[in-house]
Amino acid sequence: MTTAELRQQRGTLPNPDVGTYEAVNRDVLKVLSRPGKGWWILFGMAATGVAVFLGSWFWQIYKGIGVSGLNAPVGWGVYITTFVFWVGIAHSGTLISAILFLFRAPWRQAIYRASEAMTVFAVMTAGLFPLIHVGRVWHAYWLIPYPNSRFLWPNFRSPLVWDVFAITTYFTVSAVFFYLGTIPDLAAARDQARGLRKKFYQIISLGWRGTDREWHHFSKAYIYLAALATPLVLSVHSVVSWDFAMAIVPGWHTTIFAPYFVAGAIFSGVGLVITLAVPMRKFFGLEDYLTVKHFEAMAKLCLLTSSIVLYAYLTEYFLAWYSGEPPERGSFWNRVFGHYWWANWIMLTCNGFVPLMLWFKRVRRSIAALFVISIFINIGMWFERFVIIVTSLSHEYEPWAWGLYRPSVVEMGILLGSFAWFGFWFLLFTRLLPPVAIAEMKEVVPPPMRGSEEAAT
Amino acid sequence: MIPAKRRQGHRGFFALFEHLDSTIDACKALRAAGHKGFRAYAPLPEHHLLEEGLALKHSPVRVFTLAGAMTGAATGFAFTTWTSMDWPLVTGGKPIFSIPAYVVIAFECAILFGALSTVIGLFINAGLPNLRRMVAYHPECSNGSFGVYVTAPAARADTVKEILEGFKPAELREDPEGFDV
Amino acid sequence: MSDGLKRRDFFKVLGAGGAGATVAGCSTGEIERLIPYVTPPEEITPGVATWYASTCGECSSGCGVRVRTREGRAVMIEGNPDHPVSRGGLCSRGVSALQGLYNPDRLATPLRAGPNGFEPISWDEASTLLAERLSAGGRPLFLTGTRGPTEQMLLGELAGSLNGQHVIHDALDDAALREAVNIAFGVSTLPRYDIAAARFLVSFGADFLETWISPVTFAADFASMHGVDHGEKGRFVFVGPRLSLTGQNADEWIPAQAGSEAAIALALAGELVRRGGDAGPYSDMVARYSLEDAAEAAGVEAEALGALADHFAAGDALALGPGLAGQHASATAANLAVLILNVAAGSLGRTMHVDAAPDTAASAYGAIGDAIAAMEAGEYGVAVVSGTNPAYSLPSGSGFGEAFAGVPFKVAFATALDETSSLADLVLPDAHPLESWGDSMPAPGTYAVRQPAMRPLPMFDSRPMADVLIDTARRMGNDLGAGTFHEYLRGAFDAWLTQNGEAAGVVGDPNALWRTALRTGSVSYADATPSIDALQSPTTAVSFDTPDIEGDGELTLLVYPSPRFGDGAHANRPWLQELPDPVSKIMWHSWVEMNPATVERLGLREGDIVTVATAAGSVEVPVWAYPGIREDAVAIAMGGGHTDYGQYANGNGVNPMGLLNGATDAHSGAVALVSTRATVTATGAWRRLTTNEGSEVQDDRNVTPAVALAALGHAAGEADHEAEGGHGQLRELQEGGGFRTVDTEGRAEDFPLPGSDFGTYGEDHPRWAMAMDLDKCTGCGACITACQAENNIPWVGEMQATMGREMHWMRLERYYETVDASHSGPVDIRFLPMLCQHCNNAPCEPVCPVFAAYHTPDGLNAQAYNRCVGTRYCANNCPYKVRVFNWYRYTREIPEPMNWQFNPDVTVRDNGVMEKCTFCVQRIREAGNRAAVEGREVRDGEVYTACQSVCPSAVITFGNIKDHDSQVAALAGDERTYRVLDALINTQPAVHYLKKVTFHDVEGGGH
Repeated sequence: MTTAELRQQRGTLPNPDVGTYEAVNRDVLKVLSRPGKGWWILFGMAATGVAVFLGSWFWQIYKGIGVSGLNAPVGWGVYITTFVFWVGIAHSGTLISAILFLFRAPWRQAIYRASEAMTVFAVMTAGLFPLIHVGRVWHAYWLIPYPNSRFLWPNFRSPLVWDVFAITTYFTVSAVFFYLGTIPDLAAARDQARGLRKKFYQIISLGWRGTDREWHHFSKAYIYLAALATPLVLSVHSVVSWDFAMAIVPGWHTTIFAPYFVAGAIFSGVGLVITLAVPMRKFFGLEDYLTVKHFEAMAKLCLLTSSIVLYAYLTEYFLAWYSGEPPERGSFWNRVFGHYWWANWIMLTCNGFVPLMLWFKRVRRSIAALFVISIFINIGMWFERFVIIVTSLSHEYEPWAWGLYRPSVVEMGILLGSFAWFGFWFLLFTRLLPPVAIAEMKEVVPPPMRGSEEAAT
Repeated sequence: MIPAKRRQGHRGFFALFEHLDSTIDACKALRAAGHKGFRAYAPLPEHHLLEEGLALKHSPVRVFTLAGAMTGAATGFAFTTWTSMDWPLVTGGKPIFSIPAYVVIAFECAILFGALSTVIGLFINAGLPNLRRMVAYHPECSNGSFGVYVTAPAARADTVKEILEGFKPAELREDPEGFDV
Repeated sequence: MSDGLKRRDFFKVLGAGGAGATVAGCSTGEIERLIPYVTPPEEITPGVATWYASTCGECSSGCGVRVRTREGRAVMIEGNPDHPVSRGGLCSRGVSALQGLYNPDRLATPLRAGPNGFEPISWDEASTLLAERLSAGGRPLFLTGTRGPTEQMLLGELAGSLNGQHVIHDALDDAALREAVNIAFGVSTLPRYDIAAARFLVSFGADFLETWISPVTFAADFASMHGVDHGEKGRFVFVGPRLSLTGQNADEWIPAQAGSEAAIALALAGELVRRGGDAGPYSDMVARYSLEDAAEAAGVEAEALGALADHFAAGDALALGPGLAGQHASATAANLAVLILNVAAGSLGRTMHVDAAPDTAASAYGAIGDAIAAMEAGEYGVAVVSGTNPAYSLPSGSGFGEAFAGVPFKVAFATALDETSSLADLVLPDAHPLESWGDSMPAPGTYAVRQPAMRPLPMFDSRPMADVLIDTARRMGNDLGAGTFHEYLRGAFDAWLTQNGEAAGVVGDPNALWRTALRTGSVSYADATPSIDALQSPTTAVSFDTPDIEGDGELTLLVYPSPRFGDGAHANRPWLQELPDPVSKIMWHSWVEMNPATVERLGLREGDIVTVATAAGSVEVPVWAYPGIREDAVAIAMGGGHTDYGQYANGNGVNPMGLLNGATDAHSGAVALVSTRATVTATGAWRRLTTNEGSEVQDDRNVTPAVALAALGHAAGEADHEAEGGHGQLRELQEGGGFRTVDTEGRAEDFPLPGSDFGTYGEDHPRWAMAMDLDKCTGCGACITACQAENNIPWVGEMQATMGREMHWMRLERYYETVDASHSGPVDIRFLPMLCQHCNNAPCEPVCPVFAAYHTPDGLNAQAYNRCVGTRYCANNCPYKVRVFNWYRYTREIPEPMNWQFNPDVTVRDNGVMEKCTFCVQRIREAGNRAAVEGREVRDGEVYTACQSVCPSAVITFGNIKDHDSQVAALAGDERTYRVLDALINTQPAVHYLKKVTFHDVEGGGH
């Protein structure tokens, strides 16, 4: 292939509005410089939130899980809702970095690092919730298969043990994937840093030099990891959905849960990517990297997944009616018109109806509109899980055992604190690791060619 | 850090190129001249450089991936089966040997083992982590430039230098002794 | 527990035997021989329970109990099946005696009122003071609750020797009925009702399954009368303004206005006389009453009364009532009218018997009124109060408080302070019935002993009142012929034997007879009392007019005895406070019952806190909408609103006695509980009711189907089968993969049940199962309290219970099918005792990540508490919602010595752990071990669960369903048998319910 052909090929890609490799390094590594006042304020807020989070949790451990509003019959509430919410959030990162990588989607480079970081931190957050919600957290390690004195192993028939495996695997693989992709960029940071920072990057870049051998195996390994991460991401949310679908609770026990949850996860994840990318782009001056084209692509993904979840909602209603079983029908009737009708309508509005605006190109290309819609998506997707969990449990088979649940202050503290916990790590990430994939960005920037200079001169 | 491994009686040349095509061409020329002991540096996984310039073909990493994934699947399935047979406890009237449930575990183990094994494969093949002192390296190679480093026996050193200079490197550095490539 | 004595030391002392003198609190230092029920008395074997037969002291019914003790501590009370009257049943109040025994509010020392409240004094001082004041203090008044015959004799003897008076005040005593019998038959006694012999039963408001006379006995009789047997069952009609729990068990409800009982009963009697019945001297009088007038007066349909008359005319009928809940200013007249009705229906001597001997427990109820007047007049120098709480249980208008305060010296014997004893000058800690001797004569021909099941608790320096009185008498120079009450009791027993033994057919060595009495709990003898067979001519003029109800407005206030607390004496027991009221299912607080239409008309909603006001006072109480009450009535239960009774009673609920003006029944002097109208106004406040009721209707779930009596025996079988999803066969995954077909048939010959051998580890094991006959279940809730006592289940308190966190392993669901207060007609309220169903395919098990929930080889759905991590997944996945979770450290918060009651055979669960019904696995294992030691199989009926051990209606059967000859297998094959939700989700529960049988058609032809 001639260099001219090469250039021509590159030119068809939706390039970011940057010209040179050096510009990429300069713009991205600039973010890692001294943090400004705004960052410190945000970081302070996040740290406070983390204190609330841990404080609430320790209070709960000290007093008992009774400080939550949970009861019989609603044994799962805000904690599991938030767990599923964060697991769902995690999915977009892997989707963008792995699936879109395999499908060669040309717009992923600019956003994939941030969304992958989001994945890791979201899994870190989600992973805490099963611990938060169990009655005896000090015995939670019993879910892990280890040879105890009586050789009693976990029950591998339980979806919760599947969860342990799925979430652990997901965290490990996404963290590895994330870190592996960062190594060349850490080397770039190392080459420009000084002092302590340089030492730090020297260590964590593992002595990456960008040699042909390194790149060769790296790109192959990256493909294989992406190939593993793709079924993983689909499996993880399927497994999470089976926490519900494997139970016989009316409103949970449906076969559509796995695809429905995966679509919902991607939907919520992309929503949060937009929510995070909009301010990041502004604060770090990355407008040239996160262009309107990128946002439009994400908006289309939102529209697609929103349609899938709306379809899933309607399918659920239809099947509940079609099943003819009173508990099943009752459960969904209760969902729409019962005590928690408002939660259901928040869900339908935020996830089903508001995203319909994305059919309009003008909305898709308006950063402000997308930001607002993404907030709706975040809220709606949290409520989706709330609706599934709480309304189903509150209205099960035995009419006598129907009950209501109201979250307690501690639960709200932990819910809000989890956002702080996530934000805490994300803010650290933006200052310590290159938030845009430098090496991959360069793949969509025209390479420096002799010819180009000749033409220019 | 470990000092870099020197090669007695060799000379090393580091050429920094600003252009991709120059780098590719330089590599091709070196190969044509029968040089094998050289390596290229790039700030990005440039496939043209790797495939055209250096003619790198298959990576053995995939073997690690496959072996890891299969080991994982087998381990997951065997482990769940063994533990439930070892102490058979009936739950919910389900069979002790509950295949569908164990498939989930086996699948997750396959992914986990496969991914970790891939990373190990990468590290082994790419020589990471590389704790050697970076002598034959230029910080610009992570920025906007490409590099080629050649180690050649003293006898052929001058030809190498000639070839490199022919592609107008932005910088050409010469080491009195070569380093292992 | 006090510092000086450790638990271990306590046991040493117990074990030593005869070391009573060293145990603080033994008044006499005397060693009494306690004869255990089964095992030899010589010693306590650690780890092995000792059982004592005794008599329940919680109310005047005197049911037989078996007290299970472990290492010298009472841990459980069950019904005594050998007892001829209660026949193995017991009520929640009886079981909760344990919480009276171990109540932390019990008095630790004698108290003397001083200027700064009560001061502790020693027993020496107290006894001296008591003797001094009794000898010098003028005429004494002994005011007690109903006591055993011998204790009553002692009190009478003592009172007589001191020129004093013994007055019995029991707020639940049916004095109006006794007075009516006196008028009708010339003898002051209560009739004996043989409900079991009746085929048609009418209750004019008598709550005979809850509080009236002897509810446990009546429940057993009612079960055999009303429970279906070979396609037949007796019919029960409830007449009254409000469906009590008893009313909820009726087949038909005639929602007659309060006060109209006499009119209805006399009109029915008149109709029967017109049809050839005989009402003796009242025949002419009753003939003047017509059904139409009665219907008019009662606000019901004349046709409904006509149908009643038809049933009465068919014979074997029995009318009860009106009881306490309908006690108004003409209560005696109403009772008399019902007695006349029974006579006219020919029930006297068949289903109702009147003995010619006066009731030993009798002390005219009106005596309390006279006593108050005498106290006011300053006639008494000393008042001794025990076992009754008139300051609480009499209407505020009765003037008891002021009169009592005016007595110069007041002594109270009490286990714990209450509203009356806190007014006393000297308070003496009384021993609990489980710690003291006594006796009872629950029915002619039965003499029952109450023996102490354990020594008095060491931390409470208590002495039995009777012992103290004997001692005091001796100090005053009056030897009553015995050093202790035990001796006194033996003396009375021996004297009775000498006098009547031969005539009664009880002959033999007195000591041996006494030991037999202790071992079995009672002695039966031939009772020679003649029965009365005719009404006597009235000597007292009785007006049968509808009583006046005072006050304005349209809402009649109904005050009724609480099924849980009676008159309030049992309110300081957390088990009872947290036992959902059998009718309202509300815990801890009071409520006012109003018909939903009334609630709507007043612009209220359920939970609104309203002011219920009468001329006498007002209370603020939340509204509970109840379709089982007339639109023109509101009802409040007694027993709430204690001010000075203990930590669990004070401040919970309201005391409706404050709303009553003190009106009494004209003849008996009994308090008129229905005497005034009330106004209801909203306060604007609302509260979430502390209830465990999720839905009052089944909402098409059909968890408790019924079958019409007419459909039994033929079409029903197939219809049910169809309804239960009779697919014929199901495909099931089996061990090692693959499918196999299982039948869904549920006949005895098919046992082991489909799937019952599945997941049983491939060996031959029993399969424990339970059958519950819902046609007999009256919804009383004794099973719940028994379960709580047996299995160390904590209570959680009002706040937690409001959140839905009560810990009961068993609950009684109550679904309305047909309840309409606007006209007479069938009533159909279904009770469903719901406990762990021990499913073969238990949905809770496979979801547990750590095998805390798993299946045992004998088919139990086990929960390994120590392994539980607390994910609560099992509870989510339990379709029956019978798993309960320890949200806090509930058990650790149980105060000393309440935790002494813990059953050592059952783990005490801690924070964060899921728990559930175990089918009383400790009893199963105990029986299994015993059988293994004796080298035999466990016998059918050898294992019985705690809930089963008290059920007065014998609803519950437990056993090995794989044993074809077992009772449970037979019941599981009954045509009425169904399993809840099984057809829908194939859980294959081990609990088999037998459908309720209705007289009216039920939807779906039998389900």
